[in-house]
Amino acid sequence: MTQTDTHVAQAAGTQVTEAPSRAKTLFSNQQFLLFLVWVLMVIGFSLINHIFFSVGVAENVLADWAPLVLIALGELVVIIGGGIDLSVGAIVGFSGVISAFTMKSLHGSGVSGPATLVVGIAVCVLVGLLVGLVNSLLINYAKLVPFIATLVTLGACSGLALVFTKGAPVMGGPPEAIKLAPAWLGPFSGPVLVVLLVVAVLWLFVHKARFGRYTFAIGSNSFAARAAGINVKRHIMRIYMLSGLLAGLAGFFFYIRLGSGAPTSGLGNELDAIAAVVIGGAALTGGVGRVSGTVLGALILTTVTSGLIISGVDPQWKRVVVAGLIAIAATLQALRKREGAAA
Amino acid sequence: MSEPGEILYEVRNLSKRYGAVVALDDVSMFVRAGEVVGLVGDNGAGKSTLVKCLSGAHQPSSGQVLLEGVERHWHSPHDAIEAGVETLYQDSGLAPHLSVSANVFLGREELKPGILGRMGFLAQKSMDTRAHEDLERVGIAVPASGRSVSQLSGGQRQAVAIGRAVAWASKVIILDEPTNHLGARQAREVLQVMRSAKQQGLGVIFISHTLPHVLEVTDRVVVLRLGRVVRDAPTSEFDAESLLGTITGLNAT
Repeated sequence: MTQTDTHVAQAAGTQVTEAPSRAKTLFSNQQFLLFLVWVLMVIGFSLINHIFFSVGVAENVLADWAPLVLIALGELVVIIGGGIDLSVGAIVGFSGVISAFTMKSLHGSGVSGPATLVVGIAVCVLVGLLVGLVNSLLINYAKLVPFIATLVTLGACSGLALVFTKGAPVMGGPPEAIKLAPAWLGPFSGPVLVVLLVVAVLWLFVHKARFGRYTFAIGSNSFAARAAGINVKRHIMRIYMLSGLLAGLAGFFFYIRLGSGAPTSGLGNELDAIAAVVIGGAALTGGVGRVSGTVLGALILTTVTSGLIISGVDPQWKRVVVAGLIAIAATLQALRKREGAAA
Repeated sequence: MSEPGEILYEVRNLSKRYGAVVALDDVSMFVRAGEVVGLVGDNGAGKSTLVKCLSGAHQPSSGQVLLEGVERHWHSPHDAIEAGVETLYQDSGLAPHLSVSANVFLGREELKPGILGRMGFLAQKSMDTRAHEDLERVGIAVPASGRSVSQLSGGQRQAVAIGRAVAWASKVIILDEPTNHLGARQAREVLQVMRSAKQQGLGVIFISHTLPHVLEVTDRVVVLRLGRVVRDAPTSEFDAESLLGTITGLNAT
């Protein structure tokens, strides 16, 4: 057998690759590059207008960042698993509206503020889970591709939100909701701290636990995942329900910020989420992506938005800048892939 | 070398229809413990369908699947794997974005002890070490457990796929075209891995178009043509010409 071992080793082309230098490793690390880009942006915007470098602006950036990260992390997990979720923005508005109706009726019938808010959160989360479940059923059993399945729920949710509200925000919830929003601990508001906790938990489950391993495996080669005995349908259900849950939670964040359930509050958020995920280095073909990348991608997006406003540039330029960032990120990834294939 | 023993894995009167198309028609075959059975046939003869029924990926329309004499109904590949039947699929058995060890342990990850494990956290270091040991035990050496499979050469990938199947198989191993895309030397090593699996008392089913390999390594050959078994005989009764003739149906059997 020993002889066989050496033969196989040679046959398999065993080679010892030398470890690349530390600096090279650091610069080929996409997370580090993203961080560098973000730091340069902060320096640049601060040079244009020194007001940018202040706690007040940081608060604003983080307040925009918090719900975006929630949605983007759900999107990240879906994309690593080889799918796409277009319904997250619609879930934000829909869950906020349903939750607002529930809280309005509870508040109207004299239920205490905190209890009403707890029910409000639960409703948002449940609506998100439910839409995620519908997405997975459409994918697993109606055999729709994820793009179409989630386009269907996007249309249904955003449409229903408008129908139920006739387009107007739903007010009349408990006044305590507004009190949750103000900043405390410097720029760290309650919602931001909640998001940091979610980031930590998701990092663990995506990169250190079986949940993430199965997600990467399915996105990388779903046939191999099934052949290895993984229950792919069940896992896809979990992935889309997680994405829905996080979008529902983001819906509640918007409710707190606006003090009402606006049917249009999540409009277009799915595109920002996908942008954050792609800038963060994930591949839309599945099997690739990191939580840290998406967190930084979302931070870069919200920094650009605030920075453009403070620099006196028409904020409508944001879309153009974001488009440029996506192009750069996607090009880097394509180059790396070619390099990987050549190695 | 151990002599072939009792019948380990068997299908009886198996049929598989896809709508009006009959892919398998009343197929019966078996493999004994410590035996290598070659499964050959032209394109469209039903080999892939039979492999999928054997591995649990497809459910037969009618007929029986028996493991150690007990009738089994696989609802998914998971059921067959649990029962000790491993399958190496043609080409697409690995997840390229995952590491070598993640692929070896795919679907049966080792978890950390205690509460962390119950929450699904992976014992990555232990899996890296064990993957390396398992592949070595099978007779396959691969650079590093932590390397991504996409960075390996075609031969190395195939080595990992075969190593994984042999390392986990406790009863039967089904190899669908394992020598495809391999150089002559790598193919030799794959045949050697099959022989050692046989010596360990596994039942080996070897599907291949490469007839010299089939003649070299198998004890018995089952020939499929148009969804039916047309010949089931010891390998010693064939030579390259007669085997080819039986596959294509151009000579009387």
